[in-house]
Amino acid sequence: MRAHYGKVTAAFAISALALTGCSAGGDSTDAGAEAAACEASDGPVELTFTTWVPGMDQVVELWNEENPDIQVTVQTGPNGNSGTYQNFFNQIQAGNAPDLGQIEYDALPNFRVQDGLENIAECGDVAGSADQFVDWTWGQVTFGEEGSVYAIPQDSGPMAMYYRADLFEEAGIEVPTTWEEYAAAAEQIKAEGAYITNFPKTDVNWFAGMVWQNGGQWFANDGESWDVNLTGPESEEVATYWQDLLSEDLVSTLPSFSDEWNASFNEGQQWTWVSAVWGATTLSDGAPDTAGQWAVAPMPQWEADSQEAGNWGGSSTAVLKGSEHPAEAAQFALWLNTDPEALALANELGGLYPAAKSAADLDAFAGGVEFYGGQEIYDVFAEASANVDPDFTWGPTMTQTYTDVSDGFGAAIGGSGTLMDALAEGQQQTIDALKAQSIPVNE
Amino acid sequence: MTVPSTADAPKAPPVARKNRSAGAQRRAVALFIAPFAVLFLAFYAIPIVYAIVQSLLTVEREGTFGAPRQVFGGLVQYEQVFQDSAFWTSVGRVLLFGAVQVPIMLGLALLFALLLDSPLLKGKKFFRLAFFAPYAVPGVIAAIMWGFLYSPSLSPFGAVTSNVDFLSAELVLWAIANIVTWVYVGYNMLIIYASLLAIPTEIYEAARLDGANNVQIAWRIKIPLVVPAIILTAVFSIIGTLQLLAEPQTLRSFSSAINSTFTPNLAVYTTASVPNYNLAAAFSVVLALATFILSFVFLKSTQRKVTQ
Repeated sequence: MRAHYGKVTAAFAISALALTGCSAGGDSTDAGAEAAACEASDGPVELTFTTWVPGMDQVVELWNEENPDIQVTVQTGPNGNSGTYQNFFNQIQAGNAPDLGQIEYDALPNFRVQDGLENIAECGDVAGSADQFVDWTWGQVTFGEEGSVYAIPQDSGPMAMYYRADLFEEAGIEVPTTWEEYAAAAEQIKAEGAYITNFPKTDVNWFAGMVWQNGGQWFANDGESWDVNLTGPESEEVATYWQDLLSEDLVSTLPSFSDEWNASFNEGQQWTWVSAVWGATTLSDGAPDTAGQWAVAPMPQWEADSQEAGNWGGSSTAVLKGSEHPAEAAQFALWLNTDPEALALANELGGLYPAAKSAADLDAFAGGVEFYGGQEIYDVFAEASANVDPDFTWGPTMTQTYTDVSDGFGAAIGGSGTLMDALAEGQQQTIDALKAQSIPVNE
Repeated sequence: MTVPSTADAPKAPPVARKNRSAGAQRRAVALFIAPFAVLFLAFYAIPIVYAIVQSLLTVEREGTFGAPRQVFGGLVQYEQVFQDSAFWTSVGRVLLFGAVQVPIMLGLALLFALLLDSPLLKGKKFFRLAFFAPYAVPGVIAAIMWGFLYSPSLSPFGAVTSNVDFLSAELVLWAIANIVTWVYVGYNMLIIYASLLAIPTEIYEAARLDGANNVQIAWRIKIPLVVPAIILTAVFSIIGTLQLLAEPQTLRSFSSAINSTFTPNLAVYTTASVPNYNLAAAFSVVLALATFILSFVFLKSTQRKVTQ
């Protein structure tokens, strides 16, 4: 097995090399809390921007044509938690991070606590652009602090329920509006030989969206120390609910976004997907044979007459630590996420649902969508967006929290423990991880 | 780095007088060693030293969003390593894996090598290449391919995979063992086969004169003589087993049963992406030491047996 050994040694050597780079940036002692004066550079500027949104290179081309003095190069990578964040962390340590990076809201505290973000509050029009963005997204990039802006909101992921209108109608099953009805429908659909949905063990941020809808909070930060609360009553209600569906084998447990998962949707094995607005293109790409048969309804509710929605995902464009041109980078980030032409193209190519308020007026979001039987689905998501609780706080080691809870979910699916056990375990591991990083935490 | 300067080596006169030839020779040696030395230092020695240094540091900060500072923390990270039950579970898992998979793989490799070496087999060149071909497939590609073969609804062998879930929590470790075996049997076979070819044919002739048949020759002569090659492949396999990463990491997108600490190396990878570099470095150092000790113990114990 020599080559095996050699290969892994090489991987080890490479990661060790990445570690070697740490000494360059690791000793920085300034707290970085105050926004540095943000001055424009002299002469032409070249910026790099790492993202995983498909088609972003074409959007950036629009900018490059209009701004010969600020040329942006797009680098693409895997989804954040699948590798890009790890690259960012390594690059920030090594001092060679791209100027701009796509970072989801839930990962922003993680990057801030690693001193990986530039505070761009003093850059150009950044501070004055607060009212251009949906309120809760602005809260996420400022951490609710005065004089702090750590990124520009890009898109959001208000959640609703995609469902197979044709199958529900054929089977004579009512489309569920509450979680109670949803569980009842799950049984009926199982009797039809299919699943109501798939439980995504690796998408803990999806689960967080469910808790978010139920009014739960996983983290709180009073400026002195962190509170971790993965096991509150709201989380428990959600965990127990999905545990019951899992125990009765009413939901499938495929790895989400895998080929197997796509095939399952394409072949009509999955009748609903409670997901974010960006899922609209995921579904139409992954299950092309089901075109025209899907529809979108608001998320099922915990209380019959309530109107709550959760949020899953959504990204910001951040200026990463070490950028030599934060002023230009911030200027570009602001353009990227507010310019009507850029927003329209990013939606068309990347399926982004912009965080900018002006997006509601875009043609792209008016009118019906063919894949969804001509339904005006973005109206449903616009309504959901307004129903998202604006004050949801993410923890400072979210990558770790997700991994640990996901491991627990996997164990629960394999029959050892429950989803609630996984949350309790994740709670303890998160507290341990915070302590290991000397991040103050209340126990 | 103390890399010997090579800049003036080529300037040495082609024919040197006696009293200078020793120096020239030394320079020539330095010149030839330099490429190896530079790569060895840059990609092996320095990273290892750096990982050890990292593992002795810990992070300090003030306030909820204070910038991290690395300070000397002694053996704090190692304390964490030894308290981390998930890491030790993963070590136990790969040891179980190795205890089952390595003998099977080496048994098959030995069997194939003996068949290739036997006078009865026709088409040796074809079989030698056919057994070796999987090794030419990169590990990640092999894992993806097998992932599709195992998958219940996408597999061409759906009749089997829809009844037996190879990707379930109970079976996935052995599904990985199957992939690893498939990839490396041919490689190990070649090492053993090469060793078989080096056996002088006089020994066989003598054995035949004494009335030994082919099975007896294989059992009494060939296998004892290739034991050193088998030990070599066993050491490589033990090291490879402890370092398992690519196959489980790739199969994670096919199976819900592989968690983030499935193998020790996967646990290191996961810890580094938190990012908690110091703890990841400590894990790596402990893993490297464990690998070294295990290989050393295996070599020592088998050497004693061979010399007895």
